[in-house]
Amino acid sequence: MTGARSKLECAWRGGLIALLVCACSGEDPVGRAPTEREPDELLVYAVNYPLAYFAERIAGDLAEVRFPVPADIDPADWSPTPGEIAEFQQADLILLNGAGYARWLEHASLPRGRRIDTWSGFRDRLIELRGGVSHAHGPSGDHSHTGTAATTWLDPTLAIEQARAIAEALAQARPPRAAAFRKRLAALVAELVELDAQLAATAAKLGDTPLLFSHPVYQYLERRYSLNGRSLHWEPDEAPDPKMWRELETSLEDHPARLMIWEAQPPAGTTRRLDELGIRATIFSACANAPAEGNFLSAMRAGAAALEEMGELLSPP
Amino acid sequence: MREIAYLAWCYLSYHRIKTAILVASIALITFLPAGLNVLVSQSAEELTARAESTPLLVGAKGSPLELVLSSLYFESETPAPTTFAESDRVAETGLAEPIPLYVRFRSRSYPIVGTSLEYFDFRGLRFAAGRPMAVLGECVVGAEAARELGVHPGDFVTSSPEGVFDLAGVYPLKMSIVGVLATAHSPDDRAIFIDVKTAWIIDGLGHGHQDLAAPDAESAVLSRDGDRITANASVVQYNEITAENIDSFHFHGELATYPLSAVIAAPHSEKSRALLLGRYQDDDASQLVVPTAVMDELLETVLTVREYAVAAVAIAGSATLMTTTLVFLLSLRLRRREIATMMKIGASRSTVAAVLISEVAVVLLLGGILAAGLTLATSRFGSAAIRALLLS
Repeated sequence: MTGARSKLECAWRGGLIALLVCACSGEDPVGRAPTEREPDELLVYAVNYPLAYFAERIAGDLAEVRFPVPADIDPADWSPTPGEIAEFQQADLILLNGAGYARWLEHASLPRGRRIDTWSGFRDRLIELRGGVSHAHGPSGDHSHTGTAATTWLDPTLAIEQARAIAEALAQARPPRAAAFRKRLAALVAELVELDAQLAATAAKLGDTPLLFSHPVYQYLERRYSLNGRSLHWEPDEAPDPKMWRELETSLEDHPARLMIWEAQPPAGTTRRLDELGIRATIFSACANAPAEGNFLSAMRAGAAALEEMGELLSPP
Repeated sequence: MREIAYLAWCYLSYHRIKTAILVASIALITFLPAGLNVLVSQSAEELTARAESTPLLVGAKGSPLELVLSSLYFESETPAPTTFAESDRVAETGLAEPIPLYVRFRSRSYPIVGTSLEYFDFRGLRFAAGRPMAVLGECVVGAEAARELGVHPGDFVTSSPEGVFDLAGVYPLKMSIVGVLATAHSPDDRAIFIDVKTAWIIDGLGHGHQDLAAPDAESAVLSRDGDRITANASVVQYNEITAENIDSFHFHGELATYPLSAVIAAPHSEKSRALLLGRYQDDDASQLVVPTAVMDELLETVLTVREYAVAAVAIAGSATLMTTTLVFLLSLRLRRREIATMMKIGASRSTVAAVLISEVAVVLLLGGILAAGLTLATSRFGSAAIRALLLS
């Protein structure tokens, strides 16, 4: 009798632990390990985190969303192996960002019918990049390998269009679930509209203040909120060399920026030297890959809040 | 009755050479029209089966037959090229699923088919080994081509120049085999499949070369003018796409303007099919053809030829029948003494007639059986022979 009770207790405890583990691991399933899917469940692959996040929000538990890019790699520069591309080929939907994002797509064979061009609704609003080296060889004449600014989701109005394209694709793939997808889309759009308002308010406080961007990835944010920015090519994990500091000092002569926006925390030495030049550093993650904590919206809100705080500090009393 | 049959059989087996000739003549003259009919019907089925599984084909204006033969059998001359924009156009209508085809190049005698992954599902092709192509430079080989070339996943095939003196034309590309298809008993068995973008690289529209901005490429630079670099003839271009150089591969200009030989349009419904046909009715640059209609037209010619052949065989048959009748009548004259002996030993006229009729009946029966056997063999092995003929 005692033995039976002890077995019952063990089973009860085991069940409780299993429940707790499930509850803890179910927070953010984007990029989760491949699992057995329900027959009706869609398999969705995304080329960057924002699209994976939108798909996850819209599809809920009706799709398994996979974003296979390792956390320490920028999805724009990721080079998947043929085996990883073969996994993309198995997806019901492959969410593409467009605007030349993720160069590996140019070399990959993906099923056309399952590729979702989330940018197709705003092709005319993409930002062309100027500059870059052009070269000529053979009879085809000059060509350059520059392209289009790709971090479209930094403009929430474009992000909304991308989310709508995803919802539409999901609805077409599973028509009986269309109403559920549209309902979740409405909730996501409401939050993106809220983010847009928050960023607009921050931009209003910054006004025409000259800004520096550590890397040329903020073009859509700059255009949407009419920010007076100038982009450098500084990496947060590398200390700038003397030539880069000289270029910055030259740039400051006609663009007296007092705020520099970084994708991630720059080295302490860089921050100190920027301070000496009267430039404050703040972080606004482009969020191309999944943030260490929170999600896309919380990371964007945090960036907007940090920017707002800096704007208040910089604004004249 | 048994006695009559016995006497007839004894006569026929005694004159076995004459009997064999008569049986063979009757068998052949019966088999020829029947076998021809079976063979033509099977050819028609073989030809139309692939056409029936290809609902619509889009191509540039020109010969519909050339477009169909090139797209379905990878044979005939490459039709006038259309552009990749045509594939986009079909997709944008929302009426059909487009599958691009660029059938122009070969590796030895095997056609290289530039297409998309949808082609494998569309044709119901299964993989015997490996996987579909995933990146530029990878290819999938049909079952027969793999067997004849003795290749497996992990081996390579190289595209052939279009002509011996075409040194600056087609880009010979070494492609790695990543998959081999299971036998499909179709022209796909002899084809080598690549992504359409890889076909454009063979065409020279895309290429990979050393980074001209890199210091080690200095010797390949002819001139620099600000951000513009002009390369000289020594610039290293890659003829094999590897993990190391794949990022250097790029395409010049708009992909929409790149060539295709055809686009397979798989309509979503009968209504979509009708609407799509309507959209292309007055198109000046492109044509939308129904492969079954084109093949039917071709088969009409084949059927007319068959009718002439059958008529000729019928005439020859009548001649054979008359000759056979003559042989029997002449043999009656030669057998006058034999018939007289039979009557002397008590056989009635009707018994003698029954023996002679039985002989004719047995010859006709044996000829008929032989003809039926030959026709049956034709219907059993004819399709394999036709397939071999179509694929060769």
